[in-house]
Amino acid sequence: MVKVYTITSCPWCDKVKKYLQSKGVEFEAHNIETNEDDYKECLRISGDEMVPVTTIDGKNFVLGFDKAKLDELLSA
Amino acid sequence: MSIYDFKVKTNKGEEKNLADYKGKVLLIVNTASKCGFTPQFEGLQKLYTKYQDKGLEILGFPCNQFAEQDPGTAEEIQTFCRRNYGVSFQIFEKGDVRGENAQPLFKYLTEQKGFKGFDKDNPLSAKLTETLQANFPEIMQGDGVKWNFTKFLIDREGNVVERFEPTKEPSAIAPEIEKLL
Repeated sequence: MVKVYTITSCPWCDKVKKYLQSKGVEFEAHNIETNEDDYKECLRISGDEMVPVTTIDGKNFVLGFDKAKLDELLSA
Repeated sequence: MSIYDFKVKTNKGEEKNLADYKGKVLLIVNTASKCGFTPQFEGLQKLYTKYQDKGLEILGFPCNQFAEQDPGTAEEIQTFCRRNYGVSFQIFEKGDVRGENAQPLFKYLTEQKGFKGFDKDNPLSAKLTETLQANFPEIMQGDGVKWNFTKFLIDREGNVVERFEPTKEPSAIAPEIEKLL
């Protein structure tokens, strides 16, 4: 399952979600401002507090809204 | 009217009287929001770490009136936001710092210390001037805040002693702060 880590009012998070939707990719969105477990997990994956973080396996991830990198992640 | 007459709200929604800061040296800064390109946060945090014990307080007021950008980086697109600002000094509620709906505190600060131009020795100044003239000509008029990270330095008696433009790096302000501590 594709996971997208987000915060509230984050235009780039919305863009990632819309892009995944447009490609018909199912995903779970996790808000790291409202859920401490999600926050810790996101911090573990990326090592920082920046979002959006998109990941499938919890190891490889894409930071920010980058279509090319997202495509690469999804096709791996 | 003095700086200590203003009331503001923290980013947690708590009311704060600036009178609570009487006796401190203050650096009041309009910061970018959590999605801006924001290297100056780091420089400000360094100042805070260094001088907090000697009586410096930094007050950050996030604002999204400036296209979510740091000066001179208009063409560098950053596509992420931060959960936190990554600083330990006080951040206040997001609001306008210029124009009709500007927070009264910023109206006061810009009345006390007007715009005297960007720092000529900073190569970003020309770029910022160009960006403003091309896209936001109204911002260049008058004494209002021109861009993210305009810094107002207040002495222990509450006098607004200096205004530093976004083109002044936080580290370059250190000597001015030391004079007041």
